[in-house]
Formats: sequence, C-alpha cells, structure tokens
Amino acid sequence: MIKNVLLVDDDTEMLHALKEGFKRYLESFAVLLAEDGLQALEVLKKNIISLVVTDLKMPNMDGFELLAHIMQHYPDIPVIIITGYSTPEMEKLAREGGAVGYIAKPFLIENLARQILTTLRKESEGGTLHNISSGMFLQLIEMEQKTCTIRLEEKTGGQKGILFFRDGELLDARVNNMQGESAAHEIFSWDAVNLSIQNGCALKENKIQSDLQPLILEAMRRKDEEEPEVVPDGVIEQIESAPEAPADQLTILKDKIEKEIGQQCGLEDLYQDTLWDSRVMQLSKIGAFFQLGKFRIAYIDKGDTNDYILIPDQKTLVVTVDPRCPRDKLLRVITK
Amino acid sequence: MQELFNDILNTDGVNGIMLFAVDGELLFKAFPKAIKEAPEKRNWRYFIESLEGMRETDLIFEKGRIYIRKTDVGYLVILMALSVPIAMIRLNCDILLPSLKAPKSGRKISRFFKK
Repeated sequence: MIKNVLLVDDDTEMLHALKEGFKRYLESFAVLLAEDGLQALEVLKKNIISLVVTDLKMPNMDGFELLAHIMQHYPDIPVIIITGYSTPEMEKLAREGGAVGYIAKPFLIENLARQILTTLRKESEGGTLHNISSGMFLQLIEMEQKTCTIRLEEKTGGQKGILFFRDGELLDARVNNMQGESAAHEIFSWDAVNLSIQNGCALKENKIQSDLQPLILEAMRRKDEEEPEVVPDGVIEQIESAPEAPADQLTILKDKIEKEIGQQCGLEDLYQDTLWDSRVMQLSKIGAFFQLGKFRIAYIDKGDTNDYILIPDQKTLVVTVDPRCPRDKLLRVITK
Repeated sequence: MQELFNDILNTDGVNGIMLFAVDGELLFKAFPKAIKEAPEKRNWRYFIESLEGMRETDLIFEKGRIYIRKTDVGYLVILMALSVPIAMIRLNCDILLPSLKAPKSGRKISRFFKK
C-alpha cells in the first residue's frame, strides 16, 4: 500500500526539488506538498497522511504550531522537522513537542529519504493483508482486544481510511474529511480492502461510543439503501413522499453546511445522541420562561477539543465542530 | 454592582442579566424593561445543574437569544434579541469576568465583586 508523505516548506524550490528527488521512492511513498502550516491542515483533512516532514520557519502557521496541531488531532502521524536555523534548544523543543526526527539544512536527500522509509516501516510492522473483507477481520481485532492502528485502502475506488483500536475498542476512524462514526460507516461499507496493521495506538480520546458490530451493520444497511432497487411503477410516488430517514437528514445537513461555508466550516461529526435529550429539555425551559418561542439551536463550549452544536429533535442532533469554526455563520446556516 | 454590567446592559437589544450561584441561587438580576414573571420566584436549580461542565453556552430561540458564561461564582445569563452582535457580548464578558470572584467566606453579595 503506497503511503502519503506530506512535505511542508515555504521554500517552493526546495519543495519541488524534494518531490523530484523522491520520485525514485514512488513505490514506497507518494509526496504531497504544502507551503505553510495552514495549507498543510487542509491537506491533512482531505487525505490519509502517513508522515509529515515540515520546515519550522514559515508564514501563517509555523512548524511548531503545525507540530502541536498534529500531536493533538492526528497523534498517529509522525513528524520530521527540517530547519535551516538549527540550534540545540530548537531541536530539544521539537523533540519535546513530539517530532520523531530532526534534520538541519542543508542535508542530503538520501538521508531524509532513509529517515522517511525507516519511520514508515513502523506503520506496517504488524503485517499487511490484501484483498480481504474488512468486517470479519475487524471483529477479530475486537475479540482479541488488540491495540493497533489499521490503515485501509479500498480496492476499487482507491480511497484510504484509518481505524484506531485500543484493547479491541474502536476509538476513532478517519476517511477523507470525515471522522468518528460517520467515517467508520464509510470504511465498513467497502467491499474489498488492502490493510496494514501498526502495533500500538497513539490516540487516547474515544470518539466512537458504539460497539463494532452495530457500526458494521449500520454501514451495510446504508450501503443497501444506496444501491438502486427495482421498484414497481405504482409505488414510486409513495416512496418519494415517505419521511426522510435520520441518516439522510444528517447527510443533507452536512452537505448544506459544507456547501454554504466550505472546507473551513470546522465540521467534525454529526450524529444523534439521546444522552443530550434531558439537558436540551432543561435548556429549553429558560426560553419558555422568558417567552422566547421555540428552542432552535444551542452552541456549547465545554473546553474539550471539540465544541458542540445541539439541534433539538426527538433525539438530539449533535454536530461536533472545531472550536475555531466560524461559530455564528454555522449557527445561521443550520437554523436557516 | 450594576455598574459592572452596564456595558452589557447598555448594548442595544440586551433585555436582561442574571447571575446565578452554582446551586441555582439568583445572586443578581437586572432587566431594563419589565418582565412578565419575576425570575426570583422560580427554582433555577435544575436549569443551572444542566449547565454543568459548560464553559460557554449560546441558546437561540425563535424570538431571542440567551448567552451563558461560567464564572468563578456561578453562571452569568444574558438575555438578548436575535439582532445583538454576540461577538461584542462575548468581548464584554471577557473583560468583566476577572472582576467576578468567588467569596472567601460569607455570602454577602458585595464579596463577589473586586473593588
């Protein structure tokens, strides 16, 4: 399975020289480029990245900020620092910040390639499997209470995803710009995959509350729904006017947010969660007391890595967002 | 003590401020216009309990908005119209919050505020 390495440097000549030089390693890894930390965040959102190589001094978002962001949001991705202003203090800071490698400029491209290949090898130290159905295999991981990080590649579409297991419990999933249960549903709907297993799991926070089997069943159900069925003529009208399933409502809402705000919307996950129902009921009472009409939406900052948007419904709809999201714009779009 | 909240209360569209202790006791209230029911007559305990763990809460209703901020003494609740620039309210709260400090002893209201 070819892995993606993200190179981040504001020196574009250097970036392209590295890309050119790394062409000889194309069988081992592909290269993606970003010119500063902010661009790198966008690439990280949209792609499954196995390793980041970053410069330190960059405009907009420097290497230290990027390193901190990766350690917080993508702790499974190793980071190698390259810098032209190397000091022992800087190296110490980078190592303490979580960097696995530190190379001072100028360097030989082969030295960097060697460090990349050594680091990437660890990613599949637990073995690789080809052309399998992921469902049964992943249930084995759960039964055996394994702690590992599994990278999957869909055979037909070439999509890449990643699953994090700790003691057999699925903590999180990532694919494209999805995370959490929605990403797990997407990955579990893939028919045949290649997968590589990395021993260990850098992730600590549990973003998936469901067991594995219900997630797999739900993914299958969604997949079945997506596949076109042959419907007798007479019942088409009836089906079209049927109420929307919750899953469809979530998809519509997600599409709406992404369409109106774009990739900067900060959307992390959407799901229904009855655990919020009683709180939502209490919160709605203050509006009733002051005769403010129907309770439409709540934005909640608990100081967690994500903030929450709650939409009252029979089961509360929860949208988790990056705290740096355009909050008011998001609320306007959702309530519109 | 109302002076502390004047910047917020003088913002167009702000309809009231309440300050609650963590047990739901209403410590302070100010409403520029008369309201239908006196808030001190209501038991706010369960509502305040539902805010546990929340640093900042923004509730949007059909006809108004309620912004809630955790403070050292409990929760500051600001009632406003939908048109109020919430960023301004947040900023005013950021400035105001250091002045609200929990008392070391006793429950006299003046002890909640720094001189």
